[in-house]
Amino acid sequence: MSKQRVVVVGGGLAGLSCTMKLCELGLDVDLISLVPVKRSHSVCAQGGINSCNDQTRQLGDSEWLHLDDTVYGGDFLQHQPPVKEMAMWGPKIIDLMDRLGVPFNRTGEGFIDRRRFGGTLYKRTAFAGATTGQQLLYALDEQVRRWEVEGRVKKYEHWDFLGPVLNDAGVCRGVVAQNLLTMEIRALPAEAVVIATGGPGLVYGRSTMSVMCTGSAASRCFQAGAKYANGEFIQVHPTAIPGADKLRLMSESARGEGGRVWVPRKPQDPRDPKAIPESERFYFLEERYPKYGNLVPRDIATREIFDVCVNEGLSVDKDRLCVYLDLTHIPASELDRKLGGILDIYQKFQGVDPRKTPMKIFPAVHYSMGGLWVDYQRHGDGGLVVGHPRNHQTNIPGLYAIGECDYQYHGANRLGANSLLSCIFSGLLVAPSIETLIKSTKRTAAEDATNLCEQARKDHQARHDAMLSRTGGNENPYLIHRELGDVMTKAATVVRRNDQLAAAYETVSELHERAKRCSLSDTGTWTNQNVAFTRSLLDMFPLAKTILKGALQRDECRGAHYKPEFAMPSLKADTPEGRRIEAEAWCDAFEANTARWLKSTIAVLDGDHPLLSYEDVDTSIIPPRPRLYGLVGAEEIDAVWKERSQRRAHESKLQPVG
Amino acid sequence: MGAWQVISSHQSKQGYIVLETAPTSAIQQTFFQRHEFLLRRLHSLSGLIPVGLFMMVHLTANATILNGVDAFQNVVFQIHTLGKILPLVEWTFIFLPIIFHAVFGFVFLWSGKSNASRYGYAANYRYTAQRITGIIAFVFIFYHVLHMHGLIHAEWFKTAIADPLGLARFRPYNAASTAARALQSPIISAIYVVGVLSCVYHFANGLWTMGITWGVWVTPKAQRWASHVCMGLGLIVAVIGMSAIVGFWKVDANAAEARENEIYERRVQDGSIYAAEHKRSGH
Amino acid sequence: MIKDAYGETLKHFSVKVRRQAGPNAKPYWENFRVEYESDMNVISVLQKIAAMSKTADGRTTTPVAWDCGCLEEVCGACTMVINGRVRQSCSALVDRLLGDSKEITLEPMSKFPVVRDLVVDRSRLFHNLKRVKAWVPVDTYYDMGPGPLQPRSQQEENYPLSECMSCGCCLEACPQFTKVEVKRQANETDEQFEARKAAAYDTAFLGPHAISQAMLFNNHPTGKNIADERLEALSGPGGIQVCGNAQNCVAVCPKHIPLTTSIGRAGRAVTLNKLRKWFGR
Repeated sequence: MSKQRVVVVGGGLAGLSCTMKLCELGLDVDLISLVPVKRSHSVCAQGGINSCNDQTRQLGDSEWLHLDDTVYGGDFLQHQPPVKEMAMWGPKIIDLMDRLGVPFNRTGEGFIDRRRFGGTLYKRTAFAGATTGQQLLYALDEQVRRWEVEGRVKKYEHWDFLGPVLNDAGVCRGVVAQNLLTMEIRALPAEAVVIATGGPGLVYGRSTMSVMCTGSAASRCFQAGAKYANGEFIQVHPTAIPGADKLRLMSESARGEGGRVWVPRKPQDPRDPKAIPESERFYFLEERYPKYGNLVPRDIATREIFDVCVNEGLSVDKDRLCVYLDLTHIPASELDRKLGGILDIYQKFQGVDPRKTPMKIFPAVHYSMGGLWVDYQRHGDGGLVVGHPRNHQTNIPGLYAIGECDYQYHGANRLGANSLLSCIFSGLLVAPSIETLIKSTKRTAAEDATNLCEQARKDHQARHDAMLSRTGGNENPYLIHRELGDVMTKAATVVRRNDQLAAAYETVSELHERAKRCSLSDTGTWTNQNVAFTRSLLDMFPLAKTILKGALQRDECRGAHYKPEFAMPSLKADTPEGRRIEAEAWCDAFEANTARWLKSTIAVLDGDHPLLSYEDVDTSIIPPRPRLYGLVGAEEIDAVWKERSQRRAHESKLQPVG
Repeated sequence: MGAWQVISSHQSKQGYIVLETAPTSAIQQTFFQRHEFLLRRLHSLSGLIPVGLFMMVHLTANATILNGVDAFQNVVFQIHTLGKILPLVEWTFIFLPIIFHAVFGFVFLWSGKSNASRYGYAANYRYTAQRITGIIAFVFIFYHVLHMHGLIHAEWFKTAIADPLGLARFRPYNAASTAARALQSPIISAIYVVGVLSCVYHFANGLWTMGITWGVWVTPKAQRWASHVCMGLGLIVAVIGMSAIVGFWKVDANAAEARENEIYERRVQDGSIYAAEHKRSGH
Repeated sequence: MIKDAYGETLKHFSVKVRRQAGPNAKPYWENFRVEYESDMNVISVLQKIAAMSKTADGRTTTPVAWDCGCLEEVCGACTMVINGRVRQSCSALVDRLLGDSKEITLEPMSKFPVVRDLVVDRSRLFHNLKRVKAWVPVDTYYDMGPGPLQPRSQQEENYPLSECMSCGCCLEACPQFTKVEVKRQANETDEQFEARKAAAYDTAFLGPHAISQAMLFNNHPTGKNIADERLEALSGPGGIQVCGNAQNCVAVCPKHIPLTTSIGRAGRAVTLNKLRKWFGR
């Protein structure tokens, strides 16, 4: 029997943690990555990684509360068993990363220091300076390099995953990939294939994501029959620095330290911002949310900034949407002390000193909660059966998905500093599952799938050759990509309206047709970036359509998905009795909405268009409850909700389940 | 890793180094590769001990000319009391170390490519200057040894080569006068000024980089401090070296020669030196 | 906003790119005329060039190939030589560049084999991390509890070294780090070619980044368990002895990593290690 191999596609936190764990379990890995793995997008994560820890535990925290914060933050849209398992592993993962040499910031005594992040009351977040993601990635990269030296990992860097190889029974038996330098196309047989290719930020043109985050690998699996879930849930970060090439994050701490958000009252006032008098400035967050001012929660800040620019036309610049984030009223010495690092980033990329000139910022697409649908095996204790081959397996047997490109952990909205945890966790979790799967496999892929793989390679080669020799069509892939990004950013980010979504779907379908007629400006057979880009552009359309259709059909507000038309109203009555009645009605409406919409969106591809269905969510550990932040009448609604919960708990005790 | 081995390298047309390789099984690592670390460290060390130290002693001894012909001549006599073991001392502590330092200096020179025009940082200029002064120092020392010492103490060499070319000018028992005559020409003086200053820079800067190489000064602060000390030392040695050259200019060669002969006679008589006619003028 | 010679707002500017079709091809220069916008960086210039695929004189050409990733100077991918100096193209702002010279010149790094245009093969850089065993040799990835306590001072010393993004700026600027290009032979398999490359890299200079990584792991409580092996690598062929102390590495490092301090520490560690070895412990 020849050696069994696993193919891992993607070398970020998820792909690398999976690779090193597979090696430890005795399996050999072919690691495919678009970029040298050390340059994966995980390097961009700044904030930190969450886990319950010895200190927070003594303040009342526990893994259960981490689970609760995560599902509450995610608006209950995630299956709870995997989240529970992740929260339980959290402290162990931090310990492991600590042992692997991640230079976490330290307390005076030498323990790992922690900071508090959004969405929780506890200091759960471990961090390494302002580059936690980079540090975690490097530690994993180093371990994988160690296995590479031992001959257990073969890296295929600068290789593009073209698609899975499925046999007649629909089982994944390998992959086809292309060397983007030599353009050689090769098939790699494998007992299992793990997709760990991150998010699809480029579908939105520019985002906070890296240039390789095209989503094309996930899309190629989707096109091969894998299900894609919760695509419409896209997290938008309120403050990013708009750039011609990329939107770079501006930390929330700028507002935390007193930064004020405003636009000129006169649309596109050409004056220097410092010359505009106070009376002609519109501090829209402070005016609309007097209680919270500039420190409203992320989703509200995002919506308001978006609204003021898109719907009210008050953007600072005409050709580029942005608002001012103003720190100039704070003494420079104080700014340097508290925000030095992030202000330097702004200055480095904008060439403007934010201590003297207000920064221009705008929300930016940041993270995809949705991704390839994956399975799990529930354990009796509410968590997962570790080592079960179903964990993280897509609906295609033998094809697994982990990290940002799966949909499992973040529901409708991701909590800050949870993504790094979910990436490493899913990588470590999937390895023993694959080990179990392989133990039950009788013949290796190298033995019985060679012909299958060769055929798949020939198909992809033919497709590639056809693309190079295509003569007709004058469409420019770069311009179509820009148009796609504009359409998606306008229709499917912060505020979503059905008419806009429907129109965007039409436009994207037209763009898709045009993209098929793209002509290549480079038809060479060596390091042809033009052909690789055009191919990934074509693969963006199935995902773009899935995002739009999912958003169009989901008539509710949940987490990052916000449709004003379907927002739950505030209470309006003045009398306690009136309020009570309204609160009862509110809770009725909430329950009805939960029954209708607390479901995962599941997309399958039918030709060029996605078909959607909905799947129940396992909320067996923590029952869903309303998120009431910032709502008028929140106290009354909360009181009614608690009564109902108690009644339900009481009833379930009286009546045996059955 | 390590299953293949570089067997040769050459400069390609584009100006970079192309390495040819073969399996390790087919070829041993070169002597140079096996001992690269030791050779580089010995090269670094030899620059200070003994070459650098010798230079300081040599320049200081020369500078005693400022105290007059007697003082200088007595220092030279002192050195020559070593008599028969003098060549052994010279070859072990002076010529062989200099040859070693120079030969490997040239070998290592090819391993780098100066880029001070693109990256004009002070330390980078110093790196480039270290290599340029190294080449100048090598040429100068070669010339200086020929010019003063000569190469072979054979009559045919003296008459056929040394005398016509103005080489082998120095006579230790007529130290000041022969040195002064040798340095009479402004061109030769200029060569000596440039040569000595190059040697001194090469020594002082080499001392600084040696401290980094061996891990004596590690942090930027310590390196800055060490750099000031090394440059200070270099300045002092440069002043001593220049004093000697100026001192020799001021010597009246004929008067000096008479005085030297006087001392010679006396010292041979009282037995504090050996009589050696070939170490005197006119031989 | 940049003004031209007549005080008018600049509409176009000239970009000169050193191109090369492949490893064995001859390099040549191509000029592009790029429409000016405010807040551009070199990445957006290259994006514009890719989209138009036309030279300054209107000739159709292929898009310039180049490497990039995060575009926020943490991944290290987009390193190239811009107006004669090595740096990341994402943080190279057009307004600044045009302030210093009339046109922008882009060249591939000269110390690595060119793959195509501005794309170079930096595998040697990663290979050298293998030579110095730049990792913590843990026993297992199972849960073994927390790692050893580490004083804050140690973290503060290690964190800057750990920010090295393997961009290659220090190597490009180092006069002692010279190009090693192994040409592919006909009828050679990928594996044979890779093995030949690895062998060539194995005896050439490690470079400041790898020396600094060796020092990072020798300063980690568990990493230092194999400190002697790293010091052996540092004193092997192409080791720290090749350093010529030009100190360009620290001057060009975009992350301001104290590379020369690492080199000094490595020099000291290797000296002591050798003395122990030669004279007995």
